[in-house]
Parts: sequence; structure tokens; C-alpha cells
Amino acid sequence: MSFRVKLLSVAAIGLCLSAGSALADTAASKIALSNNYAGNSWRQAMLKSWEKVAGQAVKDGVVAEASAFTTSENQVTEQAAQIQNLILQGYNAIVINAASPDALNGAVKQACDAGIIVVSFDGIVTEPCAWRIAVDFKQMGAIQLDYLAERLPEGGDLLEIRGLAGVFVDDAIHSGIEAGVAKHSKFKVVGSVHGDWAQEVAQKAVAGVLPSLPEVKAVVTQGGDGYGAAQAFKAAGRPTPLIIMGNRQDELAWWKEQKDANGYETMSVSIAPGVSTLAFWVAQQILDGKEVPKDLTVPFLQINQADLEKSLETTEKGGVANVEYSLEDSQKVIAGK
Amino acid sequence: MTSLGGVFYYLRTRAWIWSFVATAMVWIATILFTGGHGGGQMLTAALSFATFTIIVGIGQMFVITTGPGNVDLSIPATMALSGAITTKIMDTQDGMILTGFAVALGVGLAVGLFNYGLIRLLRIPPIIATLSASFLVQSTAIAYGRGLRIKPPPALADFTTAEIGGIPILSICGVVFTIIMGVVLARTFYGRSVLAVGQNMRAAWLAGIPVERTRLVTYVLSAMLAGLSGLLLSGFSGGSSLNMGEEYLLASIAVVVIGGTSVAGGRANVPGIWGAALFLYLLVTMLNTFGASAGLRLIMTGVIIIAVITVAGSGEQKR
Repeated sequence: MSFRVKLLSVAAIGLCLSAGSALADTAASKIALSNNYAGNSWRQAMLKSWEKVAGQAVKDGVVAEASAFTTSENQVTEQAAQIQNLILQGYNAIVINAASPDALNGAVKQACDAGIIVVSFDGIVTEPCAWRIAVDFKQMGAIQLDYLAERLPEGGDLLEIRGLAGVFVDDAIHSGIEAGVAKHSKFKVVGSVHGDWAQEVAQKAVAGVLPSLPEVKAVVTQGGDGYGAAQAFKAAGRPTPLIIMGNRQDELAWWKEQKDANGYETMSVSIAPGVSTLAFWVAQQILDGKEVPKDLTVPFLQINQADLEKSLETTEKGGVANVEYSLEDSQKVIAGK
Repeated sequence: MTSLGGVFYYLRTRAWIWSFVATAMVWIATILFTGGHGGGQMLTAALSFATFTIIVGIGQMFVITTGPGNVDLSIPATMALSGAITTKIMDTQDGMILTGFAVALGVGLAVGLFNYGLIRLLRIPPIIATLSASFLVQSTAIAYGRGLRIKPPPALADFTTAEIGGIPILSICGVVFTIIMGVVLARTFYGRSVLAVGQNMRAAWLAGIPVERTRLVTYVLSAMLAGLSGLLLSGFSGGSSLNMGEEYLLASIAVVVIGGTSVAGGRANVPGIWGAALFLYLLVTMLNTFGASAGLRLIMTGVIIIAVITVAGSGEQKR
């Protein structure tokens, strides 16, 4: 008898467990990605990561559908219309990389009112009903100066390459760099140009301002501009300063070349485009009924001298150093670990 | 007195002078600020980058000159597609450079024909036709290259970055090319047809000028120059990228207008493009050197461009 009781209780526990996972049923849910821009390597990697991880989740039956939609013109009106279409198409969750932090709030509110889960990442939205997966961009600027203070204890003149004027990310990283310069007062920013996170634009801007500058010890950047800056220094026949890189494959490849040639040392920091997959799992977890705080912070991806070869190996030619999130990784981020 | 009047008359009839005057002023202002430091290098950089603007600017100038409403908005996308395809085909092999050039021109030819097809066969206004074509072209570039950045062949990189005594070789080629296009515009049947069509399309047609063939050639020319520029730019900056053409959309139109070409068509100004391209580059350099913030820089750029156009245009009104 007692054996049967034991067996029963084991079965009961088993049932409870399976019931627990049966609750976690998002198999019928549809998740959409609303993306505002696809015209650079970072966004391409972001979409590819989504395709890979979310596509696998669909195959595994975790969700019913996980499609990505990109607007052609990087415009707020267009993305608002796109979100409205996604509402009508009956998606259960919409993951957004937004063209503007506040201009999409109306459309996002409509989605929330329709009972749709909205998760924004990278380009986040301020509408309170949505979840935000944000990057501490200010810190991304500040750690560059911390690194430089370690490498160049005597300080020196810096050239700052900023991003796209008027985008909050640019202001946030810039304020971090300003804070860093205030903290490490031996450094001085002697020139500042906008490189728009693009190698060609950065190269052009740096080439223009370089002749008027004294010797530059280091270049602080925002990502996607390091290789262009290196090209501009080379063309001007000036010694190559310490340029902080931004995880693009061409930047890492250039770094490796320099390292092999003359022992060049620097570091590289940016956000992994695979943050889209974190947003995917967060949306899935919310649909699953899990408690998820509205504001999450995603760690940025830093590559140091010792990790260079490994990162370069795993980064696709023309792509960006990347980390894709699994369900477990995402649960850790949600738990705040 | 008369000589002074002569000088004024000369200036008034040559609007392009003003863009060079403005360029010189901006350059001098920058050097005064740096205390005479780096002036030569600044000009070298300006010549290098201006060359790319000039190549696409000349194409845009021919298009705009064919009359009101004619403009080519597909230039950035064509540059991106050409850069993506040619760097992949050349695959860092010096021996493939000629093939690369042929492919770049081929890409331009295809885009140009497509643009004209939309305009002529589907009767879509050029501004819409070239814009929608640019979406298709850009999407093709994305699908083809996926943002892949392949290094250019070493010989091409050397050629596009080489200098003689501070003057980039590419700029010398650019000047020669500009002179050739100036002669084409002023002396050949095609060039004069472009001007005639731009002044009055119907009159040109009645005079027996092949209006549609002229427009076809002009759109193909513009796209081919964009293709060429895409190839050269990817050689210059160590590979192509999807957004490398972005800033050349407004730049190509701006240099045409600042250079003294009539937006209404029918009157082109070839040398003015050089002045305008150098001016635009040095203007940004000056404001960067002054440490102006991005907002102030954009405002100043707008104000100064309006000022130059007003000064340059005021002489012509009286003609």
C-alpha cells in the first residue's frame, strides 16, 4: 500500500510540474518585431540574430510566429502606421526598435489598450505601458576614459567622434565622455566631430579637422567610426593614436593587423545587436505570465586585448561582434543578475 | 572706372566665381583661427573628398539642367549597390579592377535605364520615379551584401589615396573629367540638346532635337557616374558600406545649386561645382575647428548657403 501511495505522490508531483510548464504555454502566441531602419551592419546583424533565435523558437513550438518588419524610410509616421497594422493583424506582442523615444507613444498606447505586450529595446519608447530594455549609454562613454586613464597615466589631448546629432544616444554617450574627462582631468578634448556612426562620414569629418589639431593621444568614439578615424590619420601621415573601437568586424580586423605589426593595444565597446533576441525572450516571458520589471538594463559588450582573436573569429566578415541570448540568459537579465 | 565696371560685369556673368570666393574666405578664416597651422593639409583633404561630390554632382547637374522637375534621387542607393557588388567581385584582386570598373558602370547603366523607364513608360514624375527606384536599388544592395565590408584591391586603394605634392591624383583626374564634361555641355550636340530641352522642351522638340533620347542619356549618365563614385569611394575608404552614399543625396543637389546652375533648368555651370564642393567641405571643417556644436553648425551651414546663393543669384536677375 505504502508503495502505491509513494507512487501516487510521485505521480502527483510530476503532474504538478507538468502543469507548471503547461502554464508556460505561449505556443499559440504571435510576436512581431517592428524595426525602423536596416541600412547598416549593426541593424543587419540585429535582424539576423532575430531571425536565427526567434526562428528556432517558432520551430521548437515556443511561439506560433515571430516575424520581423522593417520600415523603409526610418520615419516616425511610417513606423506608427506599421504598429497600427500589427495591432490589426492580431499579434500578441510587439517588439520595437523605435525611430523616436516619444513620437510613437500614441501608437504604442493603442497597442497596449488592445491588450498587446509592447517591449522596446535599443531605440526605446517612453510610453509607461511599454517595457524598456535600455543600454547605459552614459556608462559606455565613461568607461572609455577610465580605460584611457589606465593606459595613458600622463593624460593628453583627445579627439571625440560623436554619433548622429539630435539622437539621444549621441547625447548620452557624449555626457558620459564629458563626465569621464571631468573625472580624469589630465585629458582634454581638443576636437569634436560628428561621424554619424558611419566609417565614411567619420573619415571625412576627421580628415577635415585633423590639420588644425595638435598631436592627438587618443580618440574616443561611439562605435562604427574607429576604422574611418584610423584611415583619416593614416591619410594625413600622422602617428596612429589610441583609438577606442566599436566592435565592428572591420575595426577588429584593423586592430588585429596593427597588433601583429606593432603591438597596438586598445579596447572595443558597443552593444551586441543580439539584444533583439533578449527583447524576444522578454516578450515571450511576459506573455507567459512572468513578472518582468518595466525597465531592464542590458550589459554592453566589451572586447579587451586578450579577447581580440576570439571575438574576431566569431564575428562574421562585415558584421558586428555579437551575443545572442537564450531563454536562460534572458531570465538572468530579468532577475537583475 | 571702366575697368572696375568691367570687373563687376565679369563677376556678374560668372556666377561660379562666388563659390570660389566663399571657399577662399572660409579657408582663410579657418587658418586664422589655427594660427596658420595645417592650411595645406586642409586643402588636400578638401580636394580628396570634394572629388566624390563632384563626380555625382556633374551627373546631377546634367539631370537638373534638362528642366524643372528633373532630379535624380537614386544616387545614394546606386553608390551603395555599386560599392557592394564591385568590392565583392574584385575580391581584393588587383587583376579584377578593370572588371570592377566595368561592373560599376554596368550597375549605373541598369539603374539609369530603369529610372528612365519609370519616367517615360509609366509617366511617373522623375522625383517619385528615382525615389522609388532608389528603394528597390537600396534593398537589392542590402540583400546582396548584407552589410558585408570587403577591402578594395590594394592597387585601387593606392590609386584613390595617392597624392603628388599634396594634390590627390584622383582630384587631378576629377579636374580633367570636369573639363571634358564642360566641353561636352558647351560644344557637342548632346550637351546643347540638354540645354535646349531645359530651356523649353516643346521648342526643343519643334526644333528637331531628340528630346526623349537626350533625357534617356542624361539619366543613364547620372546613374553611371554614381556607380563610378561608389566604386572609387569604397577604394578610398577601405571598403563599401550600405549607408556610404547617404550624404551624397543632398550634397549632389547642393553643389549644383550653389555652383550657379539654374534649378529651373536650361543653364548649367560646370566650374561652379568645384567651388561649391570645396566650399561645403571647408565650411564643415571650419565650424568643426571653431568647436561649434552640431546645432549651431547646421544653422550656420544653412545661413551661409543661403547667403552665397543670394549673392551669386542677385547678379543674374539683372540680365
